[in-house]
Amino acid sequence: MTTATPAKPPPAGSARPVVGETPTAGRAGRRRRIADRQRPLWLLLPGGLLTALVIVIPLLIAVYISLIDLNLYTFREWVRAPFIALRNYFDAVKDEGLLHSVAISVEYAVIVTVVTLPIGVAAGLATQNRFHGRGLVRSVLLIPYVLPAFVVGTIWRIILQPGGIANGLLKHVGVYGGLWLNGPMSFWALVLVQIWSSWPLLYLLTLAGLQSVDPVLYEAATLDGADWRAKLRYVVLPRLRGPVSLGLVIAFLHNVNSFTLPFVLFGVPSPRDVAVLPVLTYTESFQNSAFGLSAAMAVVSLLLIAVPLAVYLRAVRLTVAEDRLR
Amino acid sequence: MKARRGRTVAAGAIVLALGVQGCTASTASPSGTDSGGGLNGTGVTLNVLMGANNIYPVQQKQWFSAVSDKFQKQTGAKVSFDTFAAPTDELTKIQVSALSGQGPDIYGVGTTFTPTAYSTGAFEQLTADDWNKIGGKDRFLPATLNISGPDADHQVGIPFASRPFVMAYNKELLARAGIDKPADSWDGLRQEAGQLTGNGVYGLAVAYADSFDPWKFIWAMSIQAGNPIVDGRTVKLTDPTVATAYRTYLGWLATDKVVDPAAVGWKNPQAIAAFGAGKAAFLPMVSASSKVTLDKSAVAGKYAYALMPTIPPGATGVPAGGKAASSILSGDNLVVAKYSRHRDLALALIKMLTSQEAQDEYYRTFGELPTNAAEAKHLESDPALAAIVDSASKSVGTPFVGGWSQVQVAMVNVVVQSIPDLAAGKVDDAQLRSLVADAQNTAQSAVDKAK
Repeated sequence: MTTATPAKPPPAGSARPVVGETPTAGRAGRRRRIADRQRPLWLLLPGGLLTALVIVIPLLIAVYISLIDLNLYTFREWVRAPFIALRNYFDAVKDEGLLHSVAISVEYAVIVTVVTLPIGVAAGLATQNRFHGRGLVRSVLLIPYVLPAFVVGTIWRIILQPGGIANGLLKHVGVYGGLWLNGPMSFWALVLVQIWSSWPLLYLLTLAGLQSVDPVLYEAATLDGADWRAKLRYVVLPRLRGPVSLGLVIAFLHNVNSFTLPFVLFGVPSPRDVAVLPVLTYTESFQNSAFGLSAAMAVVSLLLIAVPLAVYLRAVRLTVAEDRLR
Repeated sequence: MKARRGRTVAAGAIVLALGVQGCTASTASPSGTDSGGGLNGTGVTLNVLMGANNIYPVQQKQWFSAVSDKFQKQTGAKVSFDTFAAPTDELTKIQVSALSGQGPDIYGVGTTFTPTAYSTGAFEQLTADDWNKIGGKDRFLPATLNISGPDADHQVGIPFASRPFVMAYNKELLARAGIDKPADSWDGLRQEAGQLTGNGVYGLAVAYADSFDPWKFIWAMSIQAGNPIVDGRTVKLTDPTVATAYRTYLGWLATDKVVDPAAVGWKNPQAIAAFGAGKAAFLPMVSASSKVTLDKSAVAGKYAYALMPTIPPGATGVPAGGKAASSILSGDNLVVAKYSRHRDLALALIKMLTSQEAQDEYYRTFGELPTNAAEAKHLESDPALAAIVDSASKSVGTPFVGGWSQVQVAMVNVVVQSIPDLAAGKVDDAQLRSLVADAQNTAQSAVDKAK
């Protein structure tokens, strides 16, 4: 593990002279370039090769597959499958309801992410201070997150059946539950179950953020006469920005790519209101054997998740640059 | 993450497959030899992939090892069985194996899946010589060969088990209502179901949310009215017979109120459970395997099987051009992979599995009917099986086109998207027309692409 140490960037001190335009700056700059050259970049090679093999090459093949007519009848000689340029993309939009699925996936992912944010942060704040049984409460809060999506889907499917537990309980309070696993309500059923199973991610990242806040800051704020609201507003929340925005990006990506939960809850063919993109892609590929078409859908879903990812990476790069300038 | 992972896996498999294929081409040699005349399979292991039997999992494992032992005694070769949980799992396995040129030597495929398997071109078309090695075509019930290939000269599937669909009925409930036997027309069945509905009991138990059941009803009612759904290469879902079939099927719950409203969320096992609890008089679209569950239920000894109606809705007899189909031709076929390097051994194993003795044992263990003609004749005399054996002979094969799986999915999709209306107690004609039109387009384009 010690071999990894030289790969670290040079200490911030060596970067400092760049800011000031002094005669020594040139020498320091040259020194840094030498230091750059001496970095053992070859250590990146195994990781780089693995990335190329496991991610880049399959990705390029997937993009290629999305441009050919690869299906049940051509897959045995896939290299010779006819090249049809963007036909799969057009077909996906025109015949297979790709845009409808993209809209459903994005709406659902955004709603779930936005709703889980306050729940996760509140739970993190509530379990930050020591109290009797805190360990137990913290563990219990993680249960929905550690359950496999298949189990969550199966349990909720039973609960939400027509004539199931949910409707039984609602009937007790005089409300007619209706149909949860098909029709317009199914979208909200999916949102509800996904919120239930995914909010602890934001809770975890909030906890991580809270633990990195130096207790000295609380003391200083107390000495300055700050009440809990002021502490929350000026000490805690600014320091949660990093981990929580990371949590938001991960949560969005997770939701937009969620396959198991909608698949188990609603089955295939999906009811129209929950025809999310991953299930549509799966159906085309593994039920209809339309690999070209489903690869086109997968490429679209990649573009879809690339947007928030790019925004996030850009934000991270900005903060890195700020740190350097500091 | 799953969609992306799926794609990555698929693409990765292709890369690996190319590599593997390269390796096998240059270095591999068969681990055993299929010498002419007497087969010597010493040191060879045949791989067979079959559907997992969820009703008899323990017995299935025992059967696997018994088959392997017996085959080893005969030829020296062992048999290694693997199972799949759902047809899509098997399709994935076939795709990866066909691409990489290695995998199971023999696959057990469902009858309606056989056209899809045939279209992949990954399986051996059986020559006259091959049929001789299996023991001749004559050893099979002629009806079971109807879905082995597009015609008699291009067959890939060897019939192995027969699972015709029938209808279970509650003898006590029918007797109490003064009905001596289930109707032979769908209109008659609806009328009897109406008579039997009341006091917490419904006339019919139907699994509207099942992924497979719905298309079988629609197909049966349509073909009885003379529409085979796919005629040559033309999909005929917009034919009025199909709309009538959907209206009848959906109407049972929505307007006739002879099905429990909760059935909008039922899969097949839930319908069986409702019937088993004595809450329904008729349970259409079940195979003999339902017997295991029903014999342990509250209706044990109080139920019997009968043919499903063979007269289409709105008719009093089978119309000209219609077929009195009692069931889809249902069961399992065995197919031999083209890449198998133990073709003769594979055929020898199939010969063993389709012999009268093996088929009798299979029936007694799993309750699945034989495809072996001699054994079928032998079972005909069993009164408990009368309706099921009768249904086997009145089963009609579904169209043998490569896109049939997609046609099925399109037909089920019409029911899935109609569920909200169904729950609201209506069958909206305009909505139904538009859903059927969509299904027609999807199905036709799938059939057009088929080779």
